[in-house]
Amino acid sequence: MRGNRFALRSRATAPWAIPGAAALVVLAVVLSMKVGARPLSWAELSDGLLRFSGDRSDIVVRHVRLPRTVAGLVAGVCLGLSGAVAQGITRNPLAGPDTLGVNAGAAAAMIAVFAMPGLGALTGYVWFGFLGGALAALAVYAIGGSGRDGATPVKLALAGAAVSALLTAMTSAFILLDRDLFARYRYWIIGSLARADLITVGQAVPFAVAGMLIAVLLVRRLDAVALGEDTARGLGVRPGVTRGGGLVAVVVLAGTATAIAGPVAFVGLVAPHAARALAGTAHRWVLPLSALLSAALVLLADVAGRVVIAPEEVQIGVTAAVLGGPAFLYLVRTRKVAEL
Amino acid sequence: MVLLSVVAVGLSGCGGPPAANPAASGEGSVTETNCGIEVTVAEPPERIYALYQPAVETIHALGLSDRLVGTAFLDAQVVEPYGQAQARVPYVPDLPQREALLAANPDFVLAGYNNVFATSGNEAIGTRAELAELGVRTWINAPLCPSEDGLSDEAIDPAQVSMDTVYRDLNSLGRLLGARERADELVSELRAQVAAVQQRVAGKPKPKVAILLNDDDGSYRVASGIDFGSRVLEMAGAENAFGDLTGKRHVAVSKEELITRDPDVILTSTCCDASFTVADGEPDVRQIMSDPALSASTAVRRNQVYPFLFADRAAGVRAPRAAARVADLVHPE
Repeated sequence: MRGNRFALRSRATAPWAIPGAAALVVLAVVLSMKVGARPLSWAELSDGLLRFSGDRSDIVVRHVRLPRTVAGLVAGVCLGLSGAVAQGITRNPLAGPDTLGVNAGAAAAMIAVFAMPGLGALTGYVWFGFLGGALAALAVYAIGGSGRDGATPVKLALAGAAVSALLTAMTSAFILLDRDLFARYRYWIIGSLARADLITVGQAVPFAVAGMLIAVLLVRRLDAVALGEDTARGLGVRPGVTRGGGLVAVVVLAGTATAIAGPVAFVGLVAPHAARALAGTAHRWVLPLSALLSAALVLLADVAGRVVIAPEEVQIGVTAAVLGGPAFLYLVRTRKVAEL
Repeated sequence: MVLLSVVAVGLSGCGGPPAANPAASGEGSVTETNCGIEVTVAEPPERIYALYQPAVETIHALGLSDRLVGTAFLDAQVVEPYGQAQARVPYVPDLPQREALLAANPDFVLAGYNNVFATSGNEAIGTRAELAELGVRTWINAPLCPSEDGLSDEAIDPAQVSMDTVYRDLNSLGRLLGARERADELVSELRAQVAAVQQRVAGKPKPKVAILLNDDDGSYRVASGIDFGSRVLEMAGAENAFGDLTGKRHVAVSKEELITRDPDVILTSTCCDASFTVADGEPDVRQIMSDPALSASTAVRRNQVYPFLFADRAAGVRAPRAAARVADLVHPE
């Protein structure tokens, strides 16, 4: 996206950034466990977690609050990391899983599942979204990586935009022709923790861990790639390999988050920017901070969604954007967003 | 050319907004008011298109099945004894587009839901004023009247969603469609059915019932106090556990709210296929029964989650029978 080469800004990391973000996550977890339609005392909360007897408050703790909180944590971490890695490998401050076609692919796959009778009844059908996202990203990488120079940031972004447009058009055609399909799609596309159950989240954890490991292995390479193609090569880092590995991480992480909570927009975009605002551009700080801030944002957005129009709930896809939007605008106004 | 001019004369003869058409309000013509709009016919309409369950069942119940040139969008099987009559009339599962509807050349469109005459939304076939200009008289089942032509569900007056409105609507339609006596007879039958149910449940304690819609993401919406489902529950000697919510007909409550309100009985809202009977609600029941979040609730523990049809929550001719079924469930002898 940017033609000029830019130096890694060795901005001093605020020493409190990581502990502060961790404390924010803890606060968000506590709120997520404590706040909801049914008032719970601290004693009921601890009983529900530690001495499950099956009464109503225990059920609320175990089968409503706990799954939502765990799901929000895992999905949040995945979203934050995938956004940071996506922005790193594309050197594009607007990048996210959607830039690489992942969300459009997941949506198209879900439509296929919904349209095929019987398939939607399978438990764990959400993993079809994962598969669709992976296939779309593979297509983006193959198209963007063909020709001279391999997968440059610009070609990846353009291929992602084209593949997304194609898949989105197909999805739209199907849902506009079929009301029932639209009704099902509508619930899936908005992103929500209300559907969270511990079984799906449990299935998701290995994928989340795998994605995190890949991201961790890429930390230094992402810093090198941020310096530009030639400098990266000079430092002994092959940009193509880094982008390929990064793409795998983005697909696995974003796919996991989508399987848990549906496609939650915006969080993956705003969290890395907030992380860089606090800690500069070194990925060893940006990745963990982005993960923590994103988890906190997801959980707080879910808590907000439970209370704003109680007894109704607002889906997290809505509240996260409402909460994250002003924060993002503030970041845009106060610093140079393109500092990657 | 001759044919064309005949059509043109035919159109102008019964076209235009009824009030502005003195020719149509001559001798033998009937004017009835529906949702604040005067509807005038010189003769009883002969080609009726009925959209949605309540409208389709209304026409059959008025004994006018042979005048139906089209029916669309049923939520469940047409209530007996009208199943055979329904099998003989044209039916499409989706709402017809404007063109397809007009191609059936109806002179009267009865809508069991108001969105088809809304100015927005992809189900719209035109406002009632627009259709009147084409010579098509229109009617909305009165409990669903919006406050103004072109508006939809958000503009319903909850106070009008009652059996009394159903009765008045049937009498009014009967006069307009030339089925006055059958309408009187039908209203008496329905009143008697309601009275029988009310008598059966009189003085009994009223259990709290929740009517749930299973949404695809595993969450639920409930029928609120302004939904006609609440009136059905009242006739059946029960009360809506979410009757105090009156902002809109369906409210997406959290599972925690459901656990907290703890209804004694849960009914599903199974919908929408012309083949559906109560038995088709079993998958919805199983989903609710196996939801771990609801496992401690009274309705689930006592096995009091029952299949119920969305169609049985409509303000129409099947309401008394729906109330009788609910009464059987909540007040078993």
